[in-house]
Amino acid sequence: MSDELFDKDFLKKLEYLDLVARRLVFGRQQAMRTSVKKGASIEFKDFREYSPGDDPRTIDWSVYARLGELYVKLFRQEEELDLWILLDTSASMDFGEPNKFDHARRLAAALAYIGLANMDSASVVPFAQELGRGREKLRGRSRVFELLDFLTQLPAQGETDFELATKTFVTRVRKPGLVVIISDFYGLLKAQSAIDQLRFFKHQLYVIQIASPWELDPPIRGEFRLVDTETSEHEDLTVTDSMLKRYKQAFTSFSAELRSYSMKYSIGYSLADTETAFDDFVVKVLQRGGLTT
Amino acid sequence: MTLLAPWALWLFSIGGAVVALYLLKIRRHRQTVPAIEFWRALVSQAPVRSLFQRLKRLFSLLLWLIIVALLVLATGNPIFSFGKIKPRSIAIILDNSASMQTIESEAENKTRLQLAKEAINELTSRRPVADEWMLIEAGREPQVHIAWTRDRRAVRDAADSIKTYEGSSDLAASKELAQQLLVGKERPCIVIISDGANDEIIKLSTEDKTVVYWPIGNSDDNLGITHLSVRTHRQKSAHYAFIRVLNASGNEIETRIVFELDGSTAAVEPFTIAANSEWEKTVILNAPQGGVLRASIDRDDSLMLDNEAFAILDPIRSASTLLITPPEDAYFFEQALVAMEPLVDLDSSSTISPDEFDQTAATIQDFDLMIFNNCLPKQIPPTGKFIFVNGWPAELPITVSGIIDSPELFVSQRDHPLTRYLTLRAVMLAQAQRVELTQRSTVLAQTTEADPLIFLIDQPDRQALCLAFDVLDSDLPFRNAFPMLMRNAVAFLVTEQPNWIRSEYHIGEIIQPVRPLPRDVSEITIARLSADEISQQTIPTNGESFTFSSTLERGPLRISIGNEFAYAVVNLTSTKETAIGPVVAIAQPGDNLVLTGRLLGMVPWLALTVIALALITLEWLTYHFRWTE
Repeated sequence: MSDELFDKDFLKKLEYLDLVARRLVFGRQQAMRTSVKKGASIEFKDFREYSPGDDPRTIDWSVYARLGELYVKLFRQEEELDLWILLDTSASMDFGEPNKFDHARRLAAALAYIGLANMDSASVVPFAQELGRGREKLRGRSRVFELLDFLTQLPAQGETDFELATKTFVTRVRKPGLVVIISDFYGLLKAQSAIDQLRFFKHQLYVIQIASPWELDPPIRGEFRLVDTETSEHEDLTVTDSMLKRYKQAFTSFSAELRSYSMKYSIGYSLADTETAFDDFVVKVLQRGGLTT
Repeated sequence: MTLLAPWALWLFSIGGAVVALYLLKIRRHRQTVPAIEFWRALVSQAPVRSLFQRLKRLFSLLLWLIIVALLVLATGNPIFSFGKIKPRSIAIILDNSASMQTIESEAENKTRLQLAKEAINELTSRRPVADEWMLIEAGREPQVHIAWTRDRRAVRDAADSIKTYEGSSDLAASKELAQQLLVGKERPCIVIISDGANDEIIKLSTEDKTVVYWPIGNSDDNLGITHLSVRTHRQKSAHYAFIRVLNASGNEIETRIVFELDGSTAAVEPFTIAANSEWEKTVILNAPQGGVLRASIDRDDSLMLDNEAFAILDPIRSASTLLITPPEDAYFFEQALVAMEPLVDLDSSSTISPDEFDQTAATIQDFDLMIFNNCLPKQIPPTGKFIFVNGWPAELPITVSGIIDSPELFVSQRDHPLTRYLTLRAVMLAQAQRVELTQRSTVLAQTTEADPLIFLIDQPDRQALCLAFDVLDSDLPFRNAFPMLMRNAVAFLVTEQPNWIRSEYHIGEIIQPVRPLPRDVSEITIARLSADEISQQTIPTNGESFTFSSTLERGPLRISIGNEFAYAVVNLTSTKETAIGPVVAIAQPGDNLVLTGRLLGMVPWLALTVIALALITLEWLTYHFRWTE
C-alpha cells in the first residue's frame, strides 16, 4: 500500500494541482496578501514622534529637514501564511474500499504540496487520541518528499480524541494560520467542540469529511455482527431494508449537521467520497476558495 | 401408506445437512464498521423484536425440516391404501380402434385414445405395490408392445408410442393372447382400456373375473356409414347404391348424404334419422361408365372416420356368347341367355352345333363366353371363358373315374359369386360323372360324398365353369337355380371381370387375388386413388398370388395386373365402431385394481412435491419479510 500510495502519477498530479492552484487562487491573491516569498517589500503605515530607544534608522530625516522635529516611520508588520493540516489517524479511518486513510493521506499530501509551493509554510500533523508529531513548518517544494515519506509511514490506529488533540494544537501553535482538518468526524459533538477551540484562536478553518462508499450506502442485508474498528465493541443486528434506509438518513443528517455548523462559522466544508479521485476533489476545494485567507 | 421406493428413506439423512445449511444461512456475518454508535442509535429507534425474531428463525427451520420430509416422501413414491396389497401381473390391453378416435368434448377435446393413455398413466402410478406389467395393443391384430416389466415408465412410454388404427380391433383375441402370456403368473389380471366395442367388453369382463374393464369416453354424438354397396341394374343401365347409416346418439338428427362419383356430385340425399336407429336408402346412379363412388355425411360429429365410405361402380357392358350344343338341347340354354338381356348382347351372340364348331373353330370370332353342352370339342381356344356341361376337353385337369347314380347336390361355397342366390336343394339328377380334379379348382357344389359336381377351373389364361352332369337329364332347367347359375356364370366370368380381387375390403384386411394371376406377371402395382394425390406401390407376386397388407387407410385402390386393372375400396363401415355410445363398466376399475387414494386430487408424490414447493415459497417469503420489515 505504501509503495502505491504516492507513485509517479501522484507526483505528476501534484504538479498539475500546483498549476491549477496558482491560476485559481494564488494568482488573484498576490496583490492582496504580503508574503516574504513574493519579495522584500516594506509597506509604510504611519509616523510618530521619536522617543529614546527607537531605532535611529527609522528616523525620517527629510521630515526633520522640513519641520526640525524628529519623527520615526512606522511600517506594517509583515504577515506569514502557515498551512496546518490536521490528519485524523484513528482506526476508524482505516476503512472502506477505496480506503479512507489512503485517500486522506493523498489529500493531505496534495494540499501540503500546494502550501509548500505557494505559502510560507506547510505542516501535516496527525492526531488520534492525542496530537502527534508531524512535519511542521516545512518550506519549499523540495520538502515534499520528506512529507510523503512521513505520510507513507503513518499508521491508522487508536481511538479519536479530537478535543484533546486541538487543545494541544492551540497551545503548540499560537500564531493563527490556515488549518485544514481531514477526518471522518465521527463523534460530531466532540468534533464541534474541538473545531470551536481552533476557531477561538483565530485559525482559518477548512474541514474535509472523508467517507467511503460503504458508509454512504452499506451493501449489507441479513444477520450481522457489527464490530467497531476503533473500540472492537460489537452489536448483533438483523440488517433490514428499513434499517438501511434509516442508516442512510442518519448519515445524511450527520453530514448535513457538520456542513451547517461549518457554514454558520464561515468554515469551509467538503465531503470527500473516496471514490472521487483526490485531484478532482482538490480542484473542487480550490474552486470553492478552500485555501484562501 | 406404503413407499414404492423405500430406499428414498435414506435421504432423511440429509435432514442434518439441511439443518447445518440452515444454521449457516442464519449465521451472523462479521462486519467491521467505523462507528458502532451510528448503528446502535438505529437499533434503539427500532422496536424490540428479539423474541419474535427467534420464533421466526425456529419457524423457518421447522419449515425446512418439513420440506425435506415431504420431498423425501415424494421421492419414495408413497401410496395410500387400506389392507395388505399384493403385487399382481397386469396385462394392459389398449384398444386403439377407430372408435377410440372419438373426440371427447367434455375432456378438453381429447381423443379417447389420448384418454386411454392417460388412464394407463393413472393405473401404473396408482397401483399401491410394485406390479409386473405388460402392454398389448388391440389394433389390427393383438400385438405385445412391451413384455413383462416392472418399469412403469417403460409401460407409459410404450403406450405413448401406440398410434391410431382406423379399423376395428379384436378385443377377444387380445384377451386370449394376454391369457396365454399370463400362464404361470401369480395373481394375473387383464385390464382392458377401451370404449366398450359395442358391448363386447361386457361379455369379456363378466365371463372372466381376472378381466377388468376400464371404460373410456362419454360422448355418443356420432352418425356413421355402416354399409355401402353397389349393384348393377343392366336393364336400366344404372347402378343401385345401397347405404346404411347408424345414429349412435340419443338425439334425432337431420342431415344429408352426398354421393360423389370421381369427385363430382352425383346425388344428395337429405334424411332424418331417429335416435339410436338406422337409416337405409337405395340410390340410383346413372353412371354406366362406372367410377369411384364416395358417400359422405354432411355433418361434423365426434367421430369423423365413419362419415365417409367408398364403392367401385363397374362399367356396365354386355357379354357376347357362343352356345355350342346339339340343336335339340339348345332350348333351355337359349331361354336362359335371352332372359339375361342386357347382361348378354343377343345381337352378337349365336348358337351353333358341335359339328359346326369343329369345322369353323379356327375362324370363330372372339366371344366373351363359350358354352359347351353335351359335346366334346376337338379343340378350344387357348384363352377365354368357358362353360362345359357334361363334357370337357381332355386338356382340362379333370379325370372321370365313373358314374354316380342319383346324386344329391349341395352348394359347398355359399359366399362365391357363382353361387349367389343359388338354391340347389332337392335338385333331382339322374346321374353324374364322378370326377377327380388334378389341379387347384374351386368346388362350388358337390355330392354328399364330396364328389365335385359344379366346379371352377381357374387357369391363368382360361376360366372354365364345369357341370359334371347332364342338365337336361335333371329337373334343374325347370328351377330358378338354372337361369340363376347361368346368370352368375356370365356375370362372374365376363361382365364382372376382371375379378382379380374383391371390390371392398375393411381397414386392416389383407388383399389377395381371388383367382390365380397370369404366369407372366411378376409384380403388381397398387395405387391409392385419393382426391389429392395418387401414390403407388409395387409389390412382387408370389407364384400366382400376391399379398397386400397396407390397408390402413380408407379409400379406393387400383391394382395393375399386367395390362388389366382391378379396383377395390377400403372402408371402415363397421357398426361396432360407429356405435360409440359409452358402455358402462359393471364395477369401478379403481375398486377392482385397488388403486391408491389421491391427495389434493393428485397422486401422492406429486401432491407432496407441490406442498413442498408451496412451503419453500412460504419460507422464502417469511425470510424475505424479515429482511424487509
